[in-house]
Amino acid sequence: MIVQSRKGNRLGIILFLLPVLTLFTLYFIYPLGFVFVTSTLDWNGIGTPQFVGLQNFLDNFQTRTFQISVRNNFIWLFALGFVQIGLAALVAILLARKPRGWRFLRTVYFLPNVISQVAIAMMWAALYNAEYGAINQFLEMIGLENLTHNWLGEISTALPSILIQQVLYIGYFMIIILASTMSIPESFYEAAEIDGANVLQQEIFITLPMIKDILVTTMTLAMAYGLRHFEATFLLTNGGPANSTSVLGIQLYKELSALDYGHANAIGATLVILGILMIVTIRAIGSRGAAADRMQ
Amino acid sequence: MARQATAVGSNDGIGSVAGSIFKWTVLTFFLVFTFFPLVWLVISSFKTNIELQTAPFALPQVWQFGNYVNAVQVAELPRLFLNSVIVSTSSTALAMLITSMAAFVFSREKFRGQQSLLNLIIAGVLVPIIALMAPYFRLTNVLGLYDSLWALILTYTAINIPISTFLMYGFMKSIPAELEEAAVIDGASFYQRFSMVIFPLSRIGLVTAGTFVFLFSWNEFIYALLLTSSVRSRTLQLGIRFFTSQFFTDYTSMFAAIVLTIIPSVLVYVFMHEKIIKGLTSGALKG
Repeated sequence: MIVQSRKGNRLGIILFLLPVLTLFTLYFIYPLGFVFVTSTLDWNGIGTPQFVGLQNFLDNFQTRTFQISVRNNFIWLFALGFVQIGLAALVAILLARKPRGWRFLRTVYFLPNVISQVAIAMMWAALYNAEYGAINQFLEMIGLENLTHNWLGEISTALPSILIQQVLYIGYFMIIILASTMSIPESFYEAAEIDGANVLQQEIFITLPMIKDILVTTMTLAMAYGLRHFEATFLLTNGGPANSTSVLGIQLYKELSALDYGHANAIGATLVILGILMIVTIRAIGSRGAAADRMQ
Repeated sequence: MARQATAVGSNDGIGSVAGSIFKWTVLTFFLVFTFFPLVWLVISSFKTNIELQTAPFALPQVWQFGNYVNAVQVAELPRLFLNSVIVSTSSTALAMLITSMAAFVFSREKFRGQQSLLNLIIAGVLVPIIALMAPYFRLTNVLGLYDSLWALILTYTAINIPISTFLMYGFMKSIPAELEEAAVIDGASFYQRFSMVIFPLSRIGLVTAGTFVFLFSWNEFIYALLLTSSVRSRTLQLGIRFFTSQFFTDYTSMFAAIVLTIIPSVLVYVFMHEKIIKGLTSGALKG
C-alpha cells in the first residue's frame, strides 16, 4: 500500500514539475545560453554564423551610441535607486504618522502604478508637446515664455524630461516602505518621546535603522528597473534626439530590428552581466554594513 | 495614535510649524503631480482641437462626447480590449495552474535535488528579461507562434514562473500539515491532496500571485511589440502606440482613446485598492 503510493508520488512529482520545468528551460536557460553564445558570433539570424570571439563587445564599446546608452543606464540606475527611493521613503515616513487623509493620499499616489507605462508615456508626450502641451502653455500663461522648450526634442531637456516624469511616480516603492514603517512598534516612539527626542530625531534614530532592510531591497529593485529601462524612452523619444536619451534596451531593440544578432546579443549579455555585478555589489555593501552593525 | 499626536507635538513649537509646512508641501506636490496630468488629459479629451490650443486650462465650451465615438471607431478599441483580456486572463490562469502544481511538489513532497531546483527557478527573478529579446523572438518563430496571441500567452506565463513559484511556494509552505494528514488517512491520493486540500486552501496566495501576473500581462509592452505584427494579435498597450499615426492631428480624440484604455484599470483599482495594496505589500515584504 505504502509502496504503491510512493510510486504514484514519483510519477506525480514528475508530472507536476514538467510544465514549469519545460517553460523554464525554454524561456530562461536556453535564452541565456543563446545570448552568450551568439554574442560571440557574426550572424544575421539566417546565414552561417562566424565565430568572432569578443569582437562584438569591442565594437559595441567603441560605438558612441553604446557609450551614451551605458551612461544613460547608469543615470537611470542612480536616479531610480537613490532619488526615487529617497522620495518614496520621505513620503512613506510622513504618511506613517497618519496625517489627515493619509489613506486617501496612499491610494492616490499608487494609482499611476495600475495604469500602463504606455498610457502614462502617451499622456506625458502630450504634456511635453511643444505646440499644445500643458507645460509650455502654463509657462506662457504665467509670463515665462522664455522658459518654454521643445522638451523632448532638444538634447539639453530630453533626458531630464523623461527622468523627472518617471522618478516622481513614487507610488509602488512608497507603499512597500510605508508597510514596513508602519510595522515598527508604537512603544519605540513613546519611549523616545519620554526621553525628549523630537519628531525629526525619532525618524532619524528609530525609523531609518528599522527600515534599512526594506530600503536596500527596494533600492535593488529600483536599480534593476533602471538597468531594464525601455518603455518611457522608447515611446517618448525612441532614444533621440541624436541618441542622447538612448539606453541599452533601445539599442538592443534597434540592433535586433537590423537583424544584427551578434551585436544585439552582446548588448543582451552586457545587460545580464551588469545586472549580476549590481546585485553582487549591493550584497557586498549590505553585508559589510551588517558586519559593521554587529561590531558595534 | 501616539505618533499622530507627536506630529503636532508641543516640545518645540517653531520646529513643528516648519515641519508641518514641509510635510504638507511634499504631500501636496505629489498629489498634484499624480492627479493634475490625468485631470488635464480627461478634460482635454472633451474639447475641440482648437480649444486645446487656445484655452488649455479652461473647461470645454461644449463637452465633445463625439471624441469618444471617434476614438472607439478609429482605434478599433473593442478588438484591442478583447485581445488584452484574452492574453491576460489566459496567462494568469496558466501561470497559476502550473506554478501551484510545482509549488505543491516543492513544498509538500521530498525528492533529490529539490532545494537546488527550487533555488534555480526562483533565481530567474534576477534575469533582466529585456536582455532576452533575440532568443524570445527566435523561440517564438521556431514554435510557429509569431504574431499570435499564443506567443504572448506563453511568453508572459513563462516570464512569471519565478515570481509566482516563489509566492505560491511561500504560501503553501505555511499551510499546516495536519490538514493534509487528515485527507491522507481518508485515503486521498497524491492528486487528491493537491486538488482537494492544498489548491483550495491556497486561494489567498493565488490572488496575490495572480494579481502580479495579471498586472504584468495587462501592461506588458516590449514583447507585444517584438512578437506580434498585425492588428489581429495587437494588445491594448501596443495599440496605444499606434494612436499617434491613427489620429494624426485629431489630438483630443486620441486623448479620448487613451482615457478609454485607462478606465478599466482605474475602475478595478477604485473597487479593489485595499486588496491590491495589501496583496502587493505582503508579497513584497516576504521577498
